[in-house]
Amino acid sequence: MPKYFGYAGRVLRVDLTRSRIKTKPTETNLIMEFIGGRGFNSARLYQEVPVNVDPVSPENKLMFATGPLVGTAFPLGARFNVSAKSPLTGILGDSNAGGHFAAEMKFAGYDQVIIEGRSPKPCLILIRDQETQILDAAHLVGKDVYETTEIIRKDLGRQVQVATVGPAAENLVLYSGIFVNLARPAARTGMGTVMASKNLKAIALEGTGSVKVADSGAFWRIVEEVEEETYAHPQYWPRRVMGTTRILSLADNLGFLPTRHFTSATFEHAAEVSGERLAREYNVKNRACFSCIVPCSRIYVVREGDYAGLYGEGPEYEALSSFTARVGNSNLNLALKAVDLANKLGLDAITTAECIAWAMELHERGELDKKETDGLELNWGNGKTILELIERIAYRKGFGDLLADGVRRAAEKLGKGEEIAFHVKGLELIQADPRGLKGYGLGYAVSSRGADHLRSEPFLELSDDPDEGMKKFGIAEATLRLAHRGKGRLVRYFEDWCAVVDSLEICKNLAENMELLPLKRAAEITEAVTGSHFTEESMSEIGERIVNLERAYIVRQGITRKDDYLPPRFLKEPLPNGNSKGSVFEMEPMLNEYYEERGWDSNGIPKTRKLREMHLEYAIKDLEKTRSKSRIKKI
Amino acid sequence: MKRIIVDVDRCSGCRLCEAVCSFAHENLFGSSASRITVVKEDAFGFDLPVMCWHCSRCLPMETCPSKALKRKAGGLIYANEEECIGCGKCVETCLVGAIKLHPERHTPLICDQCGGKPICVRKCPTKALTYSETNVLRPKLPVKILEETLRKWRIIA
Repeated sequence: MPKYFGYAGRVLRVDLTRSRIKTKPTETNLIMEFIGGRGFNSARLYQEVPVNVDPVSPENKLMFATGPLVGTAFPLGARFNVSAKSPLTGILGDSNAGGHFAAEMKFAGYDQVIIEGRSPKPCLILIRDQETQILDAAHLVGKDVYETTEIIRKDLGRQVQVATVGPAAENLVLYSGIFVNLARPAARTGMGTVMASKNLKAIALEGTGSVKVADSGAFWRIVEEVEEETYAHPQYWPRRVMGTTRILSLADNLGFLPTRHFTSATFEHAAEVSGERLAREYNVKNRACFSCIVPCSRIYVVREGDYAGLYGEGPEYEALSSFTARVGNSNLNLALKAVDLANKLGLDAITTAECIAWAMELHERGELDKKETDGLELNWGNGKTILELIERIAYRKGFGDLLADGVRRAAEKLGKGEEIAFHVKGLELIQADPRGLKGYGLGYAVSSRGADHLRSEPFLELSDDPDEGMKKFGIAEATLRLAHRGKGRLVRYFEDWCAVVDSLEICKNLAENMELLPLKRAAEITEAVTGSHFTEESMSEIGERIVNLERAYIVRQGITRKDDYLPPRFLKEPLPNGNSKGSVFEMEPMLNEYYEERGWDSNGIPKTRKLREMHLEYAIKDLEKTRSKSRIKKI
Repeated sequence: MKRIIVDVDRCSGCRLCEAVCSFAHENLFGSSASRITVVKEDAFGFDLPVMCWHCSRCLPMETCPSKALKRKAGGLIYANEEECIGCGKCVETCLVGAIKLHPERHTPLICDQCGGKPICVRKCPTKALTYSETNVLRPKLPVKILEETLRKWRIIA
């Protein structure tokens, strides 16, 4: 009998250099201090991947982890985190995906799978319960995500779950993702690149095991509560019909839809490329992740016009908005083709679109001519160029090679456009203009993996209801989306909550945005499943610990306050149009408030007292070094 | 007789049916121990729950070497675990692929309709599963359903 229910109880370690496979029990202290998933990965990364490791060297470690609720009938999704040092940003790399891979990993018997070293030749890891094999993958080299998945399933069984990388990763494009169930990528921060650098093309797994819960009475009582709330929730049907694509119209209406590389906050063609249009004219059915009762994913078929006959799963808001508004494209069919191509080749759609949109803005300003782009016409919305550039990036051809290292490096190498390279810490911004959403903007600025909303997602500010802010945070402005005050407290609260949800590996759209898993319920369900005692406070402390440890990790890599800034456009240029018109982003007061809320010093470094309070004593010495360095600099 | 009927267009492929089935029968969550299995083809977004239809003519029953598969008065097929030798012949001969063997006991997992209140039907989030009276004596083959679905979506002509 395992000590804790819910967990698989085992950690698998595969050393590809020595072809060595080891299994160890899941450590009790990891469970108690970090719960699972993202927490497990971040904690182990801190211990095992030190400062000077080159992200694409054999010394980097790629970790997949899932959580205690995954594999059960808990109805809010089943996800996994994949983490390593990021080749794109040089700091914490981490991405998350749904589908059916995570549940299968639990059934195979593992809470975490760690990949070390580098295989001498292309390989595939096959995990079948207690039996793990490193197989030759010469026949998969150069194959795209769809082909690879199909070949593996043909060879090993239709039911096998596959996580694979595409050609982009094999060509070491720095923002390549890891794809499960064909169209579900863990795409951010270049985890696919790390996987390919280990000569690992895919992980295939299947398991006959099971997950047991400690208190099934309590488990079903909570599940029934959650079911009832979900089915009655006002977001249930919109999400079921449109998934996250519903955000496109909403962002356009509120005036934060990044259009033509953030030069506009509304898109005149928004209706033509909206989730509503997809639902009306393209979608044929819904799909869901393992055990999820909100089937928000959609299968679309292009029935007429360009690319008629194209079909696939998705897209989500980020990818849809990436290849429409952000690059100024109003042709929905072309956008679907672009998302399909990015998935097939294994790219992060967000970063890819930022790189293309950045080059387009430079071209439109007359600062980039055809000679520099191998003859590509980079005018806004040029569909041919968009598709061509996705290919050239994935295969590092010509101008695509420059963009394949991400927008920060592209600007450095080109020697221009640095001020409009929209990233924080090297990770490209998502599809929401921070000038129209101040809490989200602060979230991008301080997120431990770079400019990304999924570390905090402070959706409450969208309510624009001061009473909410007063009630929850004691500051009315905290929940007004254009206000600056109170956002430090807001973001801190949401970051801790997100860290818990990411570590339980439950879907944030449901757990957080639909408020179906507040920390109190997270504690109750985790206790029912694991049999170990959790409270709202202990959950919140685990979230806070994860955020502090990740901050310590990136501070150890040299990150301080100077790196917590949004690109200058957001701080200097007022939004030109839409319902957030005139708004700019005030960085300093928000950072000050956030650091104070966090117990970090004015340079953004966690104070020794805070680290001790979080039981992160081992990080104190590491941070002492950075602290003294930054002190000297100030003098 | 009453049967569990699938509306393939509604199935989201979430496999919650597998989870609740394994819990109801085995007190654990594990798809390998469920009596219902969702057949999936990710490339087409195709999801089809498959479970025993209790066909009037049942090949696994006819070909079971130890005659361990039997039929109850109401028509439900079940496996007598004492007589079962765990050979897996039934898995091979069932035309719709509705049977798998328990991962540890190696005896066939056959839908028992939860004694008249199938938990998969009750918990299905999209109402893709219903439980009602039908005279259809054998289910359509999964490959046929896939073909029909793709034609309907105009993915194939």
